[in-house]
Amino acid sequence: MEVFQYVLRKLLAGIPLVLGVTLISFVLIVYFGPDKTYELLGKNPTADEIAEIRSQLGYDQPFVTRYMDYLREIVTLDFGSSESTDEKVSSILARTVPTSIALAIPGFVLGNLLGVVLALVAAYYRGFWVDKFIMGFAAVGMSISFLIAIIGFQILFSSSDGLDLLPVRGWDMSTPLQYIRYVTVPTLATVFVALGYNTRFYRAVIVEEMTRDHVRTARAFGVPPVQLFYRNILKNSMIPIVTRIMFSIPVIVISGSLLLESYFGIPGVGKVTYDAIVTGDQPILKAVVVLTAVLFVIAQLLADICYRVVDPRVSLK
Amino acid sequence: MASTENNALLSVRDLVVEFETDQGVLRAVDGVSFDIHPGETLGLVGESGCGKTVTGLSMLGLVPSPPGRIASGSIMFDGSDLVSMDETGLREIRGSQISMIFQEPMTALNPVFRIGSQMRDVLQRHQKLTRRQAHSTAIEMLAKVGIPEPAGRVDDYPHQLSGGMRQRVMIAMALSCGPKLLVADEPTTALDVTTQAQVLEQVVRLQKEFGMAMILITHDLGVVAETCQQAVVMYCGRIVERSSIEALFASPRHPYTAGLLASIPRVTDERQEVLPVIPGMVPDLLHLPQGCAFAERCSRVRDRCRQKSPRLELLQSTQTSVACYEPNA
Repeated sequence: MEVFQYVLRKLLAGIPLVLGVTLISFVLIVYFGPDKTYELLGKNPTADEIAEIRSQLGYDQPFVTRYMDYLREIVTLDFGSSESTDEKVSSILARTVPTSIALAIPGFVLGNLLGVVLALVAAYYRGFWVDKFIMGFAAVGMSISFLIAIIGFQILFSSSDGLDLLPVRGWDMSTPLQYIRYVTVPTLATVFVALGYNTRFYRAVIVEEMTRDHVRTARAFGVPPVQLFYRNILKNSMIPIVTRIMFSIPVIVISGSLLLESYFGIPGVGKVTYDAIVTGDQPILKAVVVLTAVLFVIAQLLADICYRVVDPRVSLK
Repeated sequence: MASTENNALLSVRDLVVEFETDQGVLRAVDGVSFDIHPGETLGLVGESGCGKTVTGLSMLGLVPSPPGRIASGSIMFDGSDLVSMDETGLREIRGSQISMIFQEPMTALNPVFRIGSQMRDVLQRHQKLTRRQAHSTAIEMLAKVGIPEPAGRVDDYPHQLSGGMRQRVMIAMALSCGPKLLVADEPTTALDVTTQAQVLEQVVRLQKEFGMAMILITHDLGVVAETCQQAVVMYCGRIVERSSIEALFASPRHPYTAGLLASIPRVTDERQEVLPVIPGMVPDLLHLPQGCAFAERCSRVRDRCRQKSPRLELLQSTQTSVACYEPNA
């Protein structure tokens, strides 16, 4: 019950956030975004033709009216159709979001899980060569740009110069095997880069926890190392770890997949967003902006609930 | 100090603990020796940084390493040397044979587990009790240390208890396996004055009840006077005086001990205009003078004090050992 009330309150508190994000984004889209008018017109249009197209697109309406329309679209979850393909926005999202999630999840899970494990190992052997090796590897992952990592892994696994094992472009989730074939290389690139940042961050958190008084107390009562790491160190490090994981979700689903999807030719939401930005496809942009904001609110909510689960001192009141 | 070494429960000989720092090797404990007999209480007294906590941690092999390490010496406990013992052996002893309670009750317990869970954990590991047995023993122990409604409190998290209560939980946990030796590192320093007395009383009462020996680490000579039979005064990692409580308070031999005693305000004496203090500062452990570390602050300093450190020697016709060329009469 406590959790339910809390969720409700948080969701209500999320409304102003979503409104703020949509307002700012909409100002940017309307006044600074690309104009679809001339793309739809032929050469040498007359003033009448321009006016007609602008009124079809709704560009001639005052800003307030257009924003109100946007809000109505948000409430009814009906964003109309893409201006480029005439496909319904809802069906575009229904088609692309699952692909993006399927693409992001393995890298996300492995990047964080391996990050925590490596950080634990590095922290346990801190100062020794194991630690230095892991942190050196992390520094490499951090220093290499995502783009280079993508291209590097593509050459390594998918070109005749490398192993030539896996497809370099495209997407197929019809069978698990096909899914693995297509998801492996993007995942490797993601994990390689994410590990750099994650391991460093998690190691810092864990090392700090290792110096706490309660860890010394536990050792003074003969707690063996594995239990010490699990019950004292990891459990107490969960708040910063959960924060980092939860707040990376919206970034990964929307913007993180942008590079991956364009470089691997994967028809996900990142690719669609990118195309919509380039062509000024406003209905899609408007939907993606709302989706991101809502995702952010939900991630925050999940993070708060996770805090409550991992730390009894946190109250949801 | 009794010289019958054979029946000592714990016997520390020439303990040296060093810390590797960027500026060089820091000797936090330098040649410390003492004995504790079963049921006895030893006060380990000194200012902050004099090595008393590190000495206490050494008893459990808990000197943070790296950068610290026990460089030499031996700690004989029940016939085995804790210095050369491996980690597995030490884990068997920690919390069951030798327990330690710490200064900071607010942070010394794991904040994300119920106190019952933390107490059960110790009991289940060392006493091989079942969960149910451990639970009832935990409640019994909480009742023993004076926690009201122990059956309900056992399910509390540490943050739901006050500082004094948490320290009682620590004590309950430390005594739950019936250790032979309790190392209490400033157990009452962080508590309210009123709580201090209660907790201290509790510890002494339980110590008698359990018949265990105790090392009480403190900078509070008042606490030592109330609870200990023997006292060891440390300065800059070395023992400067070791004697019985009566002798220590009646006639402190080392000028440092005398200075410490003089700087305690006394209600019974006439009100003094200025409380006597020991002049000067504690020297940097990385740059100790060649001779006696206390020489610069000592009123009785002689030339040879600056040349060579005095050794800890038993004074003729007394039970007091003192490391001073010119001890007080």
